[in-house]
Amino acid sequence: MAVDESGQAFHHPIYSFLEKMPGLSLGLTTADQLLTWGSSNSLFIFPMATSCCGIEFMAASSGRFDLDQIGSIPRGTPRQSDVMVIAGTITVKMAPRVKKLWDQMPEPKWAIAMGSCAISGDFYRDIYSVVPGVDTFMPIDVYVPGCPPNPDQLFAGLRRLQEKIRAKRNGEWTDPELRPDTPGLRSPNLPRIGDPRREASLDEAQLDAVMNLDPGGGMLRSGDKS
Amino acid sequence: MSTPDDLASLLREGFDLEPADPLTVDRSRVVELARSLKGIGFEYFSYCAAAHYPATDADPDRTVVEYRLRRLPRDEVAFRVWVPTGESTPSLCGVFAGADWQEREQYDLVGTVFADHPDLRRIMLPEDWEGHPLRRDYAIDTRHHPWR
Repeated sequence: MAVDESGQAFHHPIYSFLEKMPGLSLGLTTADQLLTWGSSNSLFIFPMATSCCGIEFMAASSGRFDLDQIGSIPRGTPRQSDVMVIAGTITVKMAPRVKKLWDQMPEPKWAIAMGSCAISGDFYRDIYSVVPGVDTFMPIDVYVPGCPPNPDQLFAGLRRLQEKIRAKRNGEWTDPELRPDTPGLRSPNLPRIGDPRREASLDEAQLDAVMNLDPGGGMLRSGDKS
Repeated sequence: MSTPDDLASLLREGFDLEPADPLTVDRSRVVELARSLKGIGFEYFSYCAAAHYPATDADPDRTVVEYRLRRLPRDEVAFRVWVPTGESTPSLCGVFAGADWQEREQYDLVGTVFADHPDLRRIMLPEDWEGHPLRRDYAIDTRHHPWR
């Protein structure tokens, strides 16, 4: 089974193990159900929180709303997370960093765009430094609209993601979420990932930017440079 | 706010300026003015800000840089420098170390060039950005990739 970024196909090491052992392939269906149950009920969240949506995310993860009740906890590392919640405005300079963190997350992985800024840039969209929607550089599974969304809405988004995961593992087709776009904005609408109108040069430029990222290069004090 | 006596006398006698908010200083004397102000206690470098003015009939295309210094708890003085586009203004890094990053920010966004700045690079925008986006002649629909 192929693994690609869009999450259309899924591969887990347990499959190859079961396929190799005679007789155990019968267990594939059951193992699949077990994996589905497990992964949809223990979504560890990587909070890519850059602005005020992050505050709502913190509220959702703390006592009153309690993300833990659906098995989700925020993890401060991309390598042990299943879901990236992009909560906040992503700037042009931040975008390759977000993409790099997304690439560091192990499969299977999902992404939630939380709030209008992550979805479309909203009213910051025409500013020179703001990305008009994070789905211009990475695939998004669930959009949670709002400015910022309530914790309840984030929960609803996670519920939708769980349903998506279950449906996909059961072989059912789920329609891609419609991007809740803001009409009437002037900025050129960049095609999303997977859109046939998207230019290939965009992907190449993005790959360049991620691969040539200089970690901490901008953080040097002026005296350090020599 | 009334001008303190020592400030007024320094400006009148040393620099031939009437106290105002802000003062307008010639580029050639700005470092000297900053050093004198620091000498009478204006040691807190509050901010440095710049803006771009396009060419008019009377004036060429230029930017203005404004500095504000404070003498805690309450005295403050502001002075501004006009810099025609294509020329440079002396950096105040030699007098106030805090001017370093703030002048870099003005260079990054407005495009004012500070002569003798120890490290005049972009500070906020990505290193390979083209143009200075807070200039009036920066087109709002300038195409760029959504990532850098």
